[in-house]
Formats: sequence, C-alpha cells, structure tokens
Amino acid sequence: MIKIDNITLSYGKKIVLKDLSLVLKERTFIGIIGKNGTGKSTLLKSIVGLLKPIKGKIFVYNEDIYKTSKNMLAKNISFMPQTMQFDFSFNVKEFIMFGRFPYMNMFKVASKEDVKIVEDVMNFTQTTEFANRNINELSGGEKQKVLLAQTLVQQTDIICLDEPTSHLDICSQSTIFKLLKMLNEKYNKTIITTIHDLNLAGEFCSDIVLLDNKKIFSYGLTKEVLNYKDIEKVYNITVVVYTNPVSKKPVVIPVYN
Amino acid sequence: MSNFFKFTLLLVILIITFVVAMLSGISDISVVEMFKSLFFSSDENTYTIIKQIRLPRVILAIVAGAGLACSGCVFQGILRNPLADPFTLGISGGAAFGVSIGFTFGITKLSWFFLPLFGFCGALLSVGFVYLLNLKKEFDSNSMILSGVIASYIFSSAVMLVFSISSHDQLYSAFMWLMGSLAFFDERLLHIIAVFVIIGVILLCFLGNVINIISLGSEKSSSLGINTAKTVKYIFMLSSLITACIVSCCGVIGFVGLMIPHITRKFVGNNNKILMPFSSIIGSIFLLICDTISRTLIAPVEIPIGVITSIIGGLFFVFLLLKKTGKISI
Repeated sequence: MIKIDNITLSYGKKIVLKDLSLVLKERTFIGIIGKNGTGKSTLLKSIVGLLKPIKGKIFVYNEDIYKTSKNMLAKNISFMPQTMQFDFSFNVKEFIMFGRFPYMNMFKVASKEDVKIVEDVMNFTQTTEFANRNINELSGGEKQKVLLAQTLVQQTDIICLDEPTSHLDICSQSTIFKLLKMLNEKYNKTIITTIHDLNLAGEFCSDIVLLDNKKIFSYGLTKEVLNYKDIEKVYNITVVVYTNPVSKKPVVIPVYN
Repeated sequence: MSNFFKFTLLLVILIITFVVAMLSGISDISVVEMFKSLFFSSDENTYTIIKQIRLPRVILAIVAGAGLACSGCVFQGILRNPLADPFTLGISGGAAFGVSIGFTFGITKLSWFFLPLFGFCGALLSVGFVYLLNLKKEFDSNSMILSGVIASYIFSSAVMLVFSISSHDQLYSAFMWLMGSLAFFDERLLHIIAVFVIIGVILLCFLGNVINIISLGSEKSSSLGINTAKTVKYIFMLSSLITACIVSCCGVIGFVGLMIPHITRKFVGNNNKILMPFSSIIGSIFLLICDTISRTLIAPVEIPIGVITSIIGGLFFVFLLLKKTGKISI
C-alpha cells in the first residue's frame, strides 16, 4: 500500500503539485492521467523516490521512502523511465541483467539465481529471440519490451512506469499493456503508470488518478473517473464517452468542431 | 573466442612486449643477460642499464597505459559521451599550468621532486575547480563536461600567459613536457605511483557494473538503488587522482585515454565490467610499444611519446573502422 500524505512537489521554485494526499491500494492497476505539464511524471517520480517532496511524506508499506535505504526501496519499487539514451549500446541480455543490480553481492557479479530469473522474464516478455542483439538495433516496440523486462527482473511488488507506450503502434501498445495486465492479475503486482492515451487507460486500468491544476481532480474506479463531464472540464475539449461493445470498457472520443 | 582466452592472450602479448622493450636500446644486451640481471646479479654495467634505466621506464609505461585507458572508460561511461577522455575535466590544462609555472620560475631546478609535485597540484586545482562548479547541483553530465571545458580554457590561457614571460630554454623543456614524455620521470617516485595506479585500476575494474548502471541515466540508476550523485563523485575522484598521478609523471599523453577504450569496444563490446580490464591491458601494451619506439627510432634523440601514440593509434583505428564495415562509420 502506498500512502501519500499531504505532499508538495516542485522543481526549484516552480510548484507542480500542491498539498496532495492519496492512498493507492495494493494489487491495483492505476493510471495517472491529466493534461501535459500537470505533474503526472512528477508524482510518479516522487513515489519511486526520485524527487523528494518539499513538504509531506510518502509511505510504502508504512515506511517513509525517503528514510529507507535506496537498496531496500529498489527491492520494493521498480521504475521504468520514459526514455533512455544509449551512447554505448549494450547486448540485450546483459542489459536486462542490470535490473538484478540491487540483489548482487559486493563485487556485483550475477549469481545462478540472477541468470535464471533473467531467462524467465525474457520468456515472459518474449524477448528471448533478440537476446544477443544490440539494444540500439531494436525497433521501438522491441526496445520497450526489453526496458520492461529489465524493470521486471527487479522483482518488486510495485512497478511504476512513465508513459511506457507513448510512441508505439497499437499492436506494440497492446502487447505491453497485456503484459502489465497479466502481471497485475496473475502475479498480484501493483502497477502504477502515467498515460496519455485515455482509451488505453480505460481499457486496462482498474483505478485512475486524474490530475488538474496542481491537485487531484478525481480518483476512483476507471468507469467513474472517465465520465464526459470531468474529461471535458479538465481537458477543455468536447468529448463523447461510450462503451466499447466488446470489452465493455469506456472509450473517450474527442469531438472537433 | 571466450573472454578468458582473449585476456590470457593479451597477457602473453604484454609479456612479450615487455621483453622486447627491455632488450631495445642503444647498448646490445642479450635475453640471457637481461634475465640474469633482472633476477640474479650480473656485471655492473648491464645491471645499471637494465634495472635502473630500462626497467623503471618500462614499468611506468605499463602502469600509465593501464591507468589512462581505464580512466578513459570511466569518463566515457559516466559522462555518457564517446568523446570523453581522462582530460575532459580539465586535468591536462591544470597540470600544464602547474608545470609551466615550475619551469618558468626555476622551481623545478631546485629538486627533482618539484616537477611532479607542481603537475599534481595543478591537476588537483583544475579538478577541484570543476567539482566546486558542480557542487550544489544534481549530477548532470553536460554541466560536468562544460565546466571541464571552461577549466581547460582558463588554464590553457594561463599557460600561455606564463609562456609569454618565459625564456627560450624554459619554454623548450615545458613544451617537451606538454607533448608527453616518459623521459622526465624520476624513478624514485615509481613505487608510489605504480602501487597507487595499480590499486586504483583494480578498484575501478571492480566498479565496472556500477558504471554500467550509472550509464543508464540517473533516473534508472537511482531506482536500482544507487545514490548516483555520491557514487559518481567517488568514482570521478578516484579516476581523476589516477590521471593526475600519471600526468604529473609523464605529461599529457593524449589519445590513449580516448581511443584505447574505443578500440577495445570493437573487440569486447560496451559492458564496462569486461571493457575496463581489457582496456587497461591493451593500454599498457600500446603505451609500452609507443614508448619503445619513441626512444629507439632515432636514438639518442627522443620523439615525444604523444606524437607516436597519436600516429599509431589513429592509423590503427582507421584500419579497424575500414576493416569492419568496408567504409568509415562510428
């Protein structure tokens, strides 16, 4: 369980989120949505311990994350950044192995267990076929799968992702989100992701946090949060929300006129 | 070819190069005589040449090559920039400044100890300057590189200023030093330098995986449990000290720290855990060959080693690029 207690987040003097409190339940699939620049990624980064609030506290399993050791935190929460740049390309398998870093001994050598876990995760994410290729040679979709695999070998209960599918085609998007859904339902992981695509959020997330104007606009079950009135208010655009005939999940369509 | 086999092969090459380097020079000494004077006693003349003239210099070349190449990997990995080398943070400029002051004001003539001391202090000065500029910020590689460039500029112009008030003689020796040479070295320092650099290089090689993680960017490395800012500071400090030690003894030897890591990447890939020990040993072999050429090619005149390293290394790298792809591409 993650408890966010009255936090204020800022970059320098610019306050991004103010006096925000939130309780995120275990084993949920949470999507953080909102307009550009409303602090989706900022909130996510503070949850994984990358951005210390100037006020307030964040508790994970009743422990203040800014007081626990970084290594302990890395065994509880993993984080997949939006972009990663590689000036020197790594081989896919060794790249995924980097995710085992928090578990490695003093000399940071991989154990047999580490190798086994990496192989399992590679099977799960279907990345085994390009195990020996260079990460810079992969396509966008393949690369995201590899990044996800690296995050998964960290074996944390809470997995945070920053826009995992922002520039992928619909096929790769669904591959990534189906994996996340399976992790959530079958392996009881808590998934927290920022996301721009409201339809993906509607399809896959169980709960949604809608941010607006430095605050939480609404937080609750997906079908409750994704109603046309709130969306229109926050995004300043006319929308139609209806139900996907196959999955019975909400679909948001903007109306341009 | 497994990495273990490759490494063993390189060790053998290093030993062969060592023997060849020990045998080359103006006076002819046979292999048997050399080993005799290395391990047992022999006549005084050979003993002096082998143990007091050639051996310290050969060891220095091995140590300096390993240190520069290894620090080069560290700087490239952590600054996430293929153009980075041990001198990116302005160490060379600072050392040059210290040494040129030493030469110009005649302080280096007072005692053998002052030349390396001034070089070392100058190097520390520039590193300190870069650290101060980045003290309050989160670690940011671009800001580090930029401060390094600033430091280089400031110290280079200071060197020019000092040069403009120097005499011809002083200018010549300072200039030779700037091009990098193992000839100025005093073997009384060898023990300290060799032990320090070797321990430092081994430590850095153990940190290979940490450097891998840091090269993923501070967001990822922090979420993998590393205190990035602090770790980066320690690693930089260590590799800067290694570089400062080497620079204070042999001057600014370019190319090794930049190109040896790249050449090694072509053979073993970019994983720093493997790259760093390989780079170190290839750096040793390379610098040893270059130094041997520099002192034997037109003996007794010495060619500055920096010139040799750049020519050989550059040509070799061009060859490597052409051979791999048929056309030039980095």
